[in-house]
Parts: sequence; C-alpha cells; structure tokens
Amino acid sequence: MKITREEARRIADLARIEMDEPALDRMAAEMSKILTYIDQLAEVDVEGFEERAAGEATPLRDDTPHAPLDRDLVERNAPAWHDGFFVVPKVIGGE
Amino acid sequence: MSEVLDSLRTIEELNPKLNAFVHVCGAGNLAGEVPVAIKDNIATAGIPTTCASRILRGFVSPFDATAVERLRTWGACVVGKTNLDEFAMGSSTEHSAFGPAKNPWDLKRVPGGSSGGSAAAVAARMVPIALGSETGGSVRQPAALCGVVGVKPTYGRVSRWGLVAFASGLDQIGIVTKTVREAAEVLGVIAGHDPHDSTSSTHPVDDYTRDLDAGNHQDVRGMRFGVVTEAVEKLEGEVRANFDDALTVLRGLGATIENVSIPTLPYAIAVYYIVANAEASANLSRFDGIRYGARSSRAKTLEDVYVDSRGEGFGDEVKRRIMLGTFALSSGYYDAYYARAQRVRAKMRHDFAEAFGRFDFLVTPTTPESAFEIGAKTNDPLSMYLNDIFTAPANLVGCPAIAVPSGFDSKELPLSLQIMAPHFGEAAMFRAAAAFERETNYWRRRPPL
Repeated sequence: MKITREEARRIADLARIEMDEPALDRMAAEMSKILTYIDQLAEVDVEGFEERAAGEATPLRDDTPHAPLDRDLVERNAPAWHDGFFVVPKVIGGE
Repeated sequence: MSEVLDSLRTIEELNPKLNAFVHVCGAGNLAGEVPVAIKDNIATAGIPTTCASRILRGFVSPFDATAVERLRTWGACVVGKTNLDEFAMGSSTEHSAFGPAKNPWDLKRVPGGSSGGSAAAVAARMVPIALGSETGGSVRQPAALCGVVGVKPTYGRVSRWGLVAFASGLDQIGIVTKTVREAAEVLGVIAGHDPHDSTSSTHPVDDYTRDLDAGNHQDVRGMRFGVVTEAVEKLEGEVRANFDDALTVLRGLGATIENVSIPTLPYAIAVYYIVANAEASANLSRFDGIRYGARSSRAKTLEDVYVDSRGEGFGDEVKRRIMLGTFALSSGYYDAYYARAQRVRAKMRHDFAEAFGRFDFLVTPTTPESAFEIGAKTNDPLSMYLNDIFTAPANLVGCPAIAVPSGFDSKELPLSLQIMAPHFGEAAMFRAAAAFERETNYWRRRPPL
C-alpha cells in the first residue's frame, strides 16, 4: 500500500498532529514500507473467523458513588486552570 | 531498610552509565523494605509518571496503580521510575525523551524495550524486582536481552488501573526479576480482580510459590513441550544452537519435546501493528494539552492547542504509530486492515487453542537475536518491529509467557528461552521455568559493570 503525501496529510489531520511538509514526506515513505509488509495479511484465509471474539464476561460493579479525584491534585497537572476549571482558548465568537 | 539504601547506592553509582532510571526517589521519605522499580508508564502517587514523553513532562499521578498499591502493602519500597520507549512504543528504549537506556552486558548495545530500564535495572542488581508493561513483548524481549526473567501474565490477570493505556486489549503489567521464584512471588501479590479495571479477571489466583518451595524436582517430567515450527525453521547460528541446547536440557529433565505448527505465527507482527496502533490512536487522543501535560505555547485557538501540543509533545515513533492506527481505522481502509487483522488474530487464537490441546507448553527463543547496537535499527522501524516476532503472539492470544535466561552467545550477550502456557496456566509455567533455571543457573552470572 503506497501512502502519498496528501494521504499522510489527511491522516495527520484526522489524528490532530501538526506535521510540516518534510515530516509528511518522511511519514508517507515509512508508512508505505510498513503497510506493504502488513499487506501480506491479505494472503491468509480467514473464512470462518470473525472480527469480534467472545471473551470472558465483563464483571460488573455495584453502581455506588465513590469519592472523585482530589481537585488540588488535578489542578497541579493542569496546563491552565482557574477557579476549579480547565482554561482553554475561546471557542465561540470571533475576534 | 538497609536493602533499600543499598539499592539507592547502586542506582547512584550505575545509573550514569545505564540511564535505566528516569526518576530516583530521595532516601528521606521511603517506606517499605523491598526495593522495587516501576516503569514510568505506571502511575505512582507523588512520583512523576512521564511515559518518557515530552507531552507528560512534570505529570504527577494523583493515585497509585493497583499493582503499585498492592506491592506497597506487601512491603515494597518504590525507589524510582524506569526508562522506556515513549508510551511503551518500541523495542530498544531508544525512543525516550530522556535518552536511551544501555544494556549492562555491553554499554554500546540496547537493553531492549520498551521496558528496557526495568530489565537493565534488575540485570545490574540495582533492584531485585521491577514492574514493566507488555503490549507485544515489552517485558520479555528486554528481559531476554539483559539476561533476566521476564513475565507476561494472562491478559486480565493483573489490573491495568494506573497503567497508561497503549492498546487496552493487549496491555498487561509484567514483572522483571533475577529468578523465577521472585517473579512468581510478585505475581501472587499483584494478581487478582480489581473493581477499577473491568477487564481484570475474577479467575482465582493460584499460589504460585507453593510448588516451587516444595522442592519438587519432578515438575517437568512427562510434560509436553511444543516447539513452534514456524519460529525455528528459519533460525540459524547461535540463537538456534542455544535453543536446541535448551531443548536438550528440558528433555534431560524428562520432558517430551515435539514440533507443533502455528501457521499464523509469521503474521504476528503484521497483525500486531494494526491492532495495537489502532487502539493506540484512540487511547492517545487524551493527550491534547487540555487537562494535563504540556500545552503548546504558540497555540491560539482550541484546535491549535490539540494539534500543536501533540505535534510538539509526541516523538517520531509515537506519531508513526498513531498515524498507522488512524489510517487502519479510517473510512475506506477499515475492512482491508483493521477487520482483516482481527480475523487473522482470531485464527491465531484458534491455532494456539489447538496446540494447547496437545501440549502443556509452547516454546520458542524469546528473541530472534541477542542485543543489537544502539542506533542499528532506529532508521528502519520495520526491522525493529520484527524483534518482537516471537513475543507478540502471546499478547494477541492473551496467554501467559515467561522469558528465562538460556545462556550466552560468543559476544557474551544473554540469550533466552520463552515458555508460553494456556490462559491462567502461570503456576505450571513457573514450575517449568524454575526447573529449567535450576538446571542451568544462568541467572547467577552478573554483567561486567
């Protein structure tokens, strides 16, 4: 599978990762090589094998309230914080 | 306490050479008696957890991972956090924001990865016990390259609560120790259901040390070991010779050895890099510069915060994997890549189930080669990936596996035998590994530091 620079850009946009043109070219070349290797999966006969396998049943817990994380500890890790909230750039309204 | 202080002294002396630890705890506020190192993608309250990534610089978890909490209750003292490939993505511990860790047997070589810091720390006797994490061999492969014991428990055997998620359907906390007995004891401490992790199993936890301590030297007699044909048929040279020697040892202990075919084994890496990266692309979306970690200083809009923080914060290998995973899940490619990889994985599960119907254990060399030189594979991601060809299958099918030292090659570098067991067959797996270890005793040899 050959990945073009345009395809690499589309994927980088989907993944929300900033990448300049040289980085996209490098990424496209590396992905092409890796996906060409992965393409050998096409030769396996998977007739009768499903995408989703049944595993162990998921244990359920009681739906009871527990103490949340300590806000002070959360604040310590926040890049921007004000009055108990994460701060982000303005989303609504123009300049 | 003296064991902890000895450990801290050894770390101080050797870490400048090995770069095995990325954070060392001060001697001032240490509780517990047994020094333990924790891979830096496992949460430790009050001690940084960075995943060796710029995007988590300075992050301190508000809580302990369940495995860490259980170790502390048992008497462990967390003396530090160990180096890894960023977000556990790698097989050499070269992709670390803290620089590469070194192999104690040869400082020019990699310790393997991604739990390379944990393996180097145990091999260099900085700590007797280290936790690592496994997604495709990240405990067993470095354990093999550093000449120590590495254990990947059954998927769900150990709670993943507090383990920073890479591929949730494959991830499992693993153990690095010098000897099988130590690993068995540690698994007994950290295994068991945890309400915080709904994928942690309620299957009863066996007493893993009882049989080892009973001195029953018959443990391998009559046991059936399957040699995975696809793993060994193309192997040559010293790794092959060493593996054949290991089989001779097992045979000498009374084991039955026969070949068994796992036709899907050669596809393990192709399946792994689709399944693991698809999950990674979703799991790592949480690193967006909003709630924790580094936020890009040039971001003006909310969209910039995501895109720039991730562009600046992630290293190349992490970006490559997120891109591959995003591609495999994207419209138009899902069926050809993700769905197909999952179906091949289902077939691999079937192959393993059939093999375990006839054999108690499946064996391969842990890795196709001994430790390679730093920089040898960094420009060729695919050749790096192929180092996990024998370890990734256990993650894909969810069975337990152990890497146990099996000798040295002509460069004096460690080699390793991998023993895989059926789901929740850890007790028997430890017995087999301990029997091999008792007969060979390679763990006693120390690296020339």
